[in-house]
Amino acid sequence: MKSHFEHVLDMKLGDLDRSIFSDPQTFELELERIFARCWLLLGHDSMLPKPNDFFTTYMGRDPVIVTRKADGTIGCFLNMCRHRGNRVCRADVGNARAFSCPFHGWTFGNDGRLSNVPGYKEIYLEKLDLDAHGLVPVARIDSYKGLLFATFDTSAPSLLEFLGDMAWYLDMILDRRAGGIEFLPGTHKWLVHTNWKFPVDNFIGDSYHGPVSHKSAWVSGFEGMPRRKSGYGYEGFQVNPGGGHGFGVRWAENRDQVFEMALPEFLDYEKERLEESISRLGDLRGLHFSPMHASIFPNVSLLWQGGAMRVWHPKGPKLTEAWGWCFVDKAAPEAYKREKALHMVQRHGTSGTWEADDVDNWVQCHSASEGYVSRRYPQNLEMGLGDEINDPQSIHPDIRGRLGKFQSEINQRGFYQRWAEMMDDPSVPAVPNMSRRDACKVSS
Amino acid sequence: MSAGLDLNLDLWFRVQAFLVREARLKDDHQLTDWLALFSDDLRYWMPVITNRIGRDLGKEMSAFGEVAHFDDDKTSLTNRVKRLQTGMAWAETPPSRTRHLLGNVEIMAVAPDGVLQVRSNYLMYRSHLEHDHELFSGYRLDHLRPHGDAWLICRRDIILDQSVVTQKNLGIFF
Repeated sequence: MKSHFEHVLDMKLGDLDRSIFSDPQTFELELERIFARCWLLLGHDSMLPKPNDFFTTYMGRDPVIVTRKADGTIGCFLNMCRHRGNRVCRADVGNARAFSCPFHGWTFGNDGRLSNVPGYKEIYLEKLDLDAHGLVPVARIDSYKGLLFATFDTSAPSLLEFLGDMAWYLDMILDRRAGGIEFLPGTHKWLVHTNWKFPVDNFIGDSYHGPVSHKSAWVSGFEGMPRRKSGYGYEGFQVNPGGGHGFGVRWAENRDQVFEMALPEFLDYEKERLEESISRLGDLRGLHFSPMHASIFPNVSLLWQGGAMRVWHPKGPKLTEAWGWCFVDKAAPEAYKREKALHMVQRHGTSGTWEADDVDNWVQCHSASEGYVSRRYPQNLEMGLGDEINDPQSIHPDIRGRLGKFQSEINQRGFYQRWAEMMDDPSVPAVPNMSRRDACKVSS
Repeated sequence: MSAGLDLNLDLWFRVQAFLVREARLKDDHQLTDWLALFSDDLRYWMPVITNRIGRDLGKEMSAFGEVAHFDDDKTSLTNRVKRLQTGMAWAETPPSRTRHLLGNVEIMAVAPDGVLQVRSNYLMYRSHLEHDHELFSGYRLDHLRPHGDAWLICRRDIILDQSVVTQKNLGIFF
């Protein structure tokens, strides 16, 4: 096992050590140093419209229940009975005031409190400490413009600090219109036999693969990433706001170029919302930057025009569970929302004509990290190295963060650098301590 | 038709033969011929399945209009076939080897205009490249509209038994 990760990415050559995708001990350490520390996306506020609504998901490999408590606030707890560890909730979604463990009947309120234990009086003689055996809560839960995040680390920075300038840029997606976004009902879930970092890498900055990977979709009626008809069609940037986050944008000089880039089925809506977007976001974020693809560290990805939001749940070094949603402006007309759902399903979902080819590439790439000899040969991430745009403010005074050309691997490099920093930080995540015997500490 | 009491064996046999041929066209990658079995006003839909308990039992299937696995009309289904035929659809290059098995064929209803509602169960084995393989199971509810001496499929609802799709994609047809 690697003792440190500082050198997995050679920043002079752009070479990346391929073994980080397949090494089981690296994966185990990721669960501790990445997934037990970072703010992880749970979903969106719109998934819990009513009091007592809940859904279940994962934070790293830990199953959690996310609840809208009776007082309207959100709770998030390990989906694990404190008695034997059985899952107390076997549903994906629903509405419940309490969760009763199917094993022995310990019952927990949707605020996590242990409210009923069969035989509490007769068997436990009222000695069982109910307060100490509630569902294990996350350390903190917070939302950014409707996106729900939680972290298991009590010493984690605030969500806003964690997102940094990415939050300001995410406004291009989350705050384009009054009311923000919503997730349309329905979650795609599917298993991909690859390491979770491959898809994150693809979404954070790989504008290079489109014309090859997705040509079959483009030429068959599934246009999905509109290009400008003028110029060479790829005018834009990779934006690296730091923190391991990143995204790519197309650049529009003016309103006409925004409309030129819109897919025909979305053109009317683009015209309807553009002035509101510019007045809410300013001209950099509302007009010139047209976001394409993004990843939020560590395991969230999205496509703005595709309406696709993803979490890549790590299941093992070679197994990732993809969860996908379709997001739309809440204020959009119903007909547009329906059109967007079709667009997402036909391109970026489980049967997606774009998605299928991406997934297969990641599966094949993963194989190269498993062979004894092949994994000794690094990945090449040198695109745009030393060719970053040194004075982004000359492009636009409001630009924050670092800027690469549209075809540049600046964001992948930023992701792996952040990943390596966290993997090399030996401080143990301070997970919430619910136990009288201090047993909740993560053993190293 | 209830409990087979007035089973029209000839009709049942012809429906079964129609569906078996439809399955063979998919397995043999004769997708242009396969498309010709669908009407122009087709709805080809596979909902998402969610695990539910208690009061929500029975609500496992997503509603039409919500995010689905497949939500196609004739145009988009035709475009999916075109994509596979470009030779650049890498996830199906080379194509998956599939075996569509169907059974439990039941004619559930006959509408006044002659449209049959046919329910059938399917098992579909898929093998792709070296090691990728999966067994898909579920049922379909087809609407078959009389056309010449056979039918056109004007609606196909496909229920996949999985809540988490355990394959890398649904890049094949059901």
